[in-house]
Amino acid sequence: MAHKDLLISWTSRIVKARYQQSVLGGLWAVVQPLALALIFTAVFTLVVRMDTGEIPYIVFSYSALVPWLLFEQSISSSVLSLVANMGLVSKIYFPREVLPIAEVGARLVDFVIAFVVLIGFMVFYGLPVFTLSWIYLPVILVTQLCLVLGIGFIGSALNVFFRDVSHVIVLILKIWMYATPIIYPVTLVQTQLENFGYGRFYGLYFLNPMSSIIESYRNVLLHNGGLNEFFGRSALVSVAVLVFGYWLFKRLEFKFADVV
Amino acid sequence: MEYSIEFNNIVKRYRLGQSVTSIRDMVKNVGRRSEPEFHYAVNGVDFQLKRGESLGIIGPNGAGKTTTLKLLSGVTKPTSGVIKVNGRFSALIELGAGFHPDLTGRENVYLNGTILGMSRAEITERFDDILEFAGIGQFIDTPVKRYSSGMYARLGFSIAAHVDPDVLLVDEVLAVGDFAFRAKCYKRMDDLRAKGTSLIFVTHDMDAVRRVCDQGMVMYGGEAIFRGTSAEAVVAYSDVVRQAAKKASQEKDLSKVENGLAQRVMTFAADIQNVSMLNSQGELVTTHEPGDEATIVVEFDVNKDIKSPVFAFTIRRPDGTLVYDATTQWLDIETPSYKAGQAGRVEYKIKLNLIEGVYDIGVDMATYDLDSYIDRIERAMGFAIVNGSGAKGIADLQTTFNFPKPESEDTVKS
Repeated sequence: MAHKDLLISWTSRIVKARYQQSVLGGLWAVVQPLALALIFTAVFTLVVRMDTGEIPYIVFSYSALVPWLLFEQSISSSVLSLVANMGLVSKIYFPREVLPIAEVGARLVDFVIAFVVLIGFMVFYGLPVFTLSWIYLPVILVTQLCLVLGIGFIGSALNVFFRDVSHVIVLILKIWMYATPIIYPVTLVQTQLENFGYGRFYGLYFLNPMSSIIESYRNVLLHNGGLNEFFGRSALVSVAVLVFGYWLFKRLEFKFADVV
Repeated sequence: MEYSIEFNNIVKRYRLGQSVTSIRDMVKNVGRRSEPEFHYAVNGVDFQLKRGESLGIIGPNGAGKTTTLKLLSGVTKPTSGVIKVNGRFSALIELGAGFHPDLTGRENVYLNGTILGMSRAEITERFDDILEFAGIGQFIDTPVKRYSSGMYARLGFSIAAHVDPDVLLVDEVLAVGDFAFRAKCYKRMDDLRAKGTSLIFVTHDMDAVRRVCDQGMVMYGGEAIFRGTSAEAVVAYSDVVRQAAKKASQEKDLSKVENGLAQRVMTFAADIQNVSMLNSQGELVTTHEPGDEATIVVEFDVNKDIKSPVFAFTIRRPDGTLVYDATTQWLDIETPSYKAGQAGRVEYKIKLNLIEGVYDIGVDMATYDLDSYIDRIERAMGFAIVNGSGAKGIADLQTTFNFPKPESEDTVKS
């Protein structure tokens, strides 16, 4: 289908334009998660002790921040993608889903670059890379992408009609990061809950699909382990969100051009 | 009957009033019920085109022309009615759609081309042709933010022209671009039509409509108020639109009558009822040849006694250029006075020494001291001059050419 070519062209447009406009260019994809990881490392090794076992804190946090930033940034950009290109949407017909999908695709490029740096880190700290468990990586990534695209479709479509949806989503994403085991180990959650007698609520923590996704990334990358026990649930949720999101998007698609 | 385009009884309406653009607004409006008001951008327009046919859509701003194109290209859906477009279509509603200023012309060709529906393979195949048509040379590899608006338009049109569609929809996009470029575009549209592409062209350029399209449709207020050949549509344009505006203003209040069309700022001591044009045989005709004699007839009803009003008429090109302006005052013509209740008539017998093209007639009556207008119609009717000599401009000077024999070689002057 010719529109597949449109997707490729549009994705490359986003990537090229972004890299041409910034001084750091492609380096920005590395600097962002790295800077965050450094700040968190400084805080959680010098100010507040955070026990991450044998894994150095910086690798612990960076390995989670890379997929997290993919999540956060691709949702933020795709939610705005329709409104940002309203001129085009109101004048030419093409399948509108190309816009949010292309934003996610462009962020995947950043993800790959940041991931290469992660491998560099792990080698530096003497951690094994390309272990057998890494076979799970595509599964985790695809599940995460389903969730991202689904939220992107819902958010971008709604944002056309209600312009503050994007602000709400950005805020939720910020808070969401703290509900996900990125800067702290999930064992901390377990311990704290048990201390307060709420041990049985541990499962509720994993209602957040990103929790088991991030944990799975860590298990697979750093501990030569498998998927997190709650991963199946997340996969189901992610696919459901994608299906619903796409359906909603296509239903609202023809009204986009009328709202200007 | 296999049609290339079917636009069957299309209605497109928009909801007016409180527009909700945020969740905050939505919450505010809970419980507040208001009567939904609608604006009918397209109201019962119906046409079908066969392969290779071309339709020009003309009309004043806000008539629904661009909405019609958007409906045809699938940008928006009709409120009711069925649209069918058979085959691949290319819509030129904006040139260079999707162009990113920081990317080079080459990169943008791929971007715009894929937006218009070509595959990357097709673009690569046609790249050289696209480049040649656009005529921007080595600039293809510089970022388009450096391009002039003309280069931008040429590249944009060139890409769209090479989509090789079965149906081509063109909105008013050729305004940017010089005469030579426009001629190139029209030629290209001719080539596509010859190949069987159907064309719908929306424009304000009356000459372009006659040149490029074989059929014409005049739109006003969302309705198709005239359908015929493109030549007929162009000539009928001002007359038909004025009638529609008059009808619309009778149904609502006078303030809705559009500016620049049937502009009436006057005392109404008399009411112009009818403006028509006769040829030398006295027949009602709107098409003439250069040099023909014609008579413009203005009929009016007198409401109050008028003393020697000043009569005037103007002839303009559709873009407003003044061709001829005559008033009885300037020409020192004495005019009769009229009593209330009379039906008056003035005839202007003229010689149409005009270049081939389309023209508008405006008529007015003013008080004898030129203090105010009595009645005035800026664009009362249109007429066309056909079968010109091929000369250009406004006035046809009826040139005959003469080449006197040169002097013999014996007497060469030094």
